[in-house]
Amino acid sequence: MKLTRRDLAAGSGALLAASTLAAPAVLGQAKPRVVVVGGGPGGATAAKYIAKEGNDAITVTLVEENETYQTCFHSNLYIGGFKSYDEIVHRYDALASAYGIALVRARATQIDRDKREVVLADGQRLAYDRLVLSPGIDLKYDSVPGWSKDAEELMPHGWKPGRQTQLIKQKLDAVPDGGVIVMIAPPNPYRCPPGPYERASMFAHVLTQTGRKQAKIIILDPKESFSKQGVFQPDWERRYGAMIEWLGPKVHDGIKSVDPRTGTVVTGFESYENCAFVNVIPAQMAGAIARDAGLAPAGGYCAIDPATMKSTADASIFVLGDACNAGDMPKSAFSANSQAKVAAMIVRGELANGRTFPARYVNTCWSLVDTDDAIKVGGRYEPKEGRIAATDTFISQPGESDEIRRQTQAENLAWYAAICADMFT
Amino acid sequence: MRAAAGLALCAALFAIAAPARAAADKALGEYLASECTSCHQLSGRSTGGIPAIIGWPEPQFVAVLESYGRKERDNQVMQAIVARLSHDDMAALAAYFGALKPKP
Repeated sequence: MKLTRRDLAAGSGALLAASTLAAPAVLGQAKPRVVVVGGGPGGATAAKYIAKEGNDAITVTLVEENETYQTCFHSNLYIGGFKSYDEIVHRYDALASAYGIALVRARATQIDRDKREVVLADGQRLAYDRLVLSPGIDLKYDSVPGWSKDAEELMPHGWKPGRQTQLIKQKLDAVPDGGVIVMIAPPNPYRCPPGPYERASMFAHVLTQTGRKQAKIIILDPKESFSKQGVFQPDWERRYGAMIEWLGPKVHDGIKSVDPRTGTVVTGFESYENCAFVNVIPAQMAGAIARDAGLAPAGGYCAIDPATMKSTADASIFVLGDACNAGDMPKSAFSANSQAKVAAMIVRGELANGRTFPARYVNTCWSLVDTDDAIKVGGRYEPKEGRIAATDTFISQPGESDEIRRQTQAENLAWYAAICADMFT
Repeated sequence: MRAAAGLALCAALFAIAAPARAAADKALGEYLASECTSCHQLSGRSTGGIPAIIGWPEPQFVAVLESYGRKERDNQVMQAIVARLSHDDMAALAAYFGALKPKP
């Protein structure tokens, strides 16, 4: 666990000694305590909006294992050569310096719901009055026969930040002309619904730009259809000819096995041998800390109250982002950021006499198909009959003008700058 | 006496300036604005694809939102956002963003 200078300067007693960390929320406690687990779009946003300009009504502690945050959003633009790796990495410093949030660099391993404490990897405990849980996803390593955690170097998923994202780019760069890339797409529900298809677009963009026009990208999908399919597929044909081939389950008849050592993928219909690169994006579930705390069904996602983002199992815990079941909202950074603002409003209402308003949510997912050619899908959402339901939705259309597509990409880039500023500054 | 007169003058000026803002709900504006800041930077910085929206005159801010509502402006994201904003919501947003100054 790392203490920042700000923690010490602020005299945040909660961080100075383990005995203080475990102190219950009684007698002489000046301020209510909020612990936020996970520094992604859900957690970082929630921490900032709860701390609110550091006005000190609430003690906010953000627990995050990593020193920096690599965004999964726009990692496909890094893979496609549109952004450097440094451009998708961000720091947490301003959350401490500008908002007085205590940053605890540690892995949270467990939640003691009875005592209202978060247990860290080194055994220390952080007491909370409200807990905001935004742990993201875990991968189901047993969801593709023959694939495993040990195989993730040979057949990378690239669905978590860091080395895995970089591995995808390295493998793509090594594909020879005429080589075959097989992408195994995930079943619903998963992080970033259009992500696999934007990534395939970026593969094709890089291969085309580097003179490897005989290479092939085969997407084996367990789903009958996918996000923005009606726009992606005609665009692929227009931009990349026959380079990208999408096969649904009725065509490939199931993914029977993969062999990471030989680069083989066997479906019910065909075997792909000596693949230049196999990208396995497996099935997903809520992060372990949420599942282990009994907030999600086995292998699933956490149920939440759509009006508050609170776990339906524990009224002192909020679950945000990819780890929760947010009804019609997709698992996206934008969604998590939106949900965090509802949670922050409710937390401040309960702990700092803040005013509360009816929950409202928004999301947009942009995808880059080729240079200056982006598409989008999104909507507004509200609580309705026990779930978060879409009220207004929109989606790009095939055959839109070059100017609209160029504007959509400009919007995509501006959104990235804005949401990162919203999370980290 | 002079100080008291000054205060009275200030109060009078405030009374004249106040009605325009009185309708807008600041706390509501702040909450609703958090929806906008996923795309529009609070600092007023803009990288081109999405405009800065701080420091605008309030009537202009409301007029632009209403034009999305009538689909005279064609951005799909903004049309969907505006579809659920009441006039009070728009006034609250206009007051909140209108009062913000660009950060260096």
